[in-house]
Amino acid sequence: MNLLVGIDIQPIDEVESSLKTFGSRYRRLLFTDRELETCGDNSTTSSRLAARFAAKEAVLKILDIQDVVPSWRSIEVGGISDCRPEIILYDVAAELARLQGIRDVFVSLARSGDAAVATVVASAWSQSEGVSP
Amino acid sequence: MSAIDDRIREVLKEHGRLPIEVGSLRDDDDLYEHGLTSHASVNVMLALEDVFDVEFPDVLLRKGTFQSIAAIRSALVSLGVEVS
Repeated sequence: MNLLVGIDIQPIDEVESSLKTFGSRYRRLLFTDRELETCGDNSTTSSRLAARFAAKEAVLKILDIQDVVPSWRSIEVGGISDCRPEIILYDVAAELARLQGIRDVFVSLARSGDAAVATVVASAWSQSEGVSP
Repeated sequence: MSAIDDRIREVLKEHGRLPIEVGSLRDDDDLYEHGLTSHASVNVMLALEDVFDVEFPDVLLRKGTFQSIAAIRSALVSLGVEVS
């Protein structure tokens, strides 16, 4: 088994600025319906979306991406709160993870006044270990 | 320099959050090596859609599309934007 680690940091003010400038186009390009519902539309929305964007980028860092790049919406941060988030992969992201033998993906989110951080850890099993991808 | 290049550089200046002067960039300079982040590239793409009245299809939503000014120009031309 191999452990894969990805980390990313996202300035919250950049997300806030993007929300103001591009509105729903920005939201719909990057985030799933469930993520948008979870993050709501209030004073914490920017920081929570920033944490989710950081998580998506952290996941992209552990995937062996060749020609086809997963969309941001194919990587979802689920869970009701930021305390126990989970990563759910769809479409291209899910297929890349399957090919790499990735079985479990864990994520931790953190937010400060200025930035949001996400760390992702995944376990990848090879076929020789008796677990087919 | 063509009109399309001028407008691309304006978008980069306004939305790219690059730590260097956009005017100092050559057409083939790697924008990511010069500080373009993934998040900033999202803003650049959305701004380009507004400025050029185009929509980037999923196939162009990849890092290479925004790797350089030349790459952005090529993508826009592929979407029907005229160079002059």
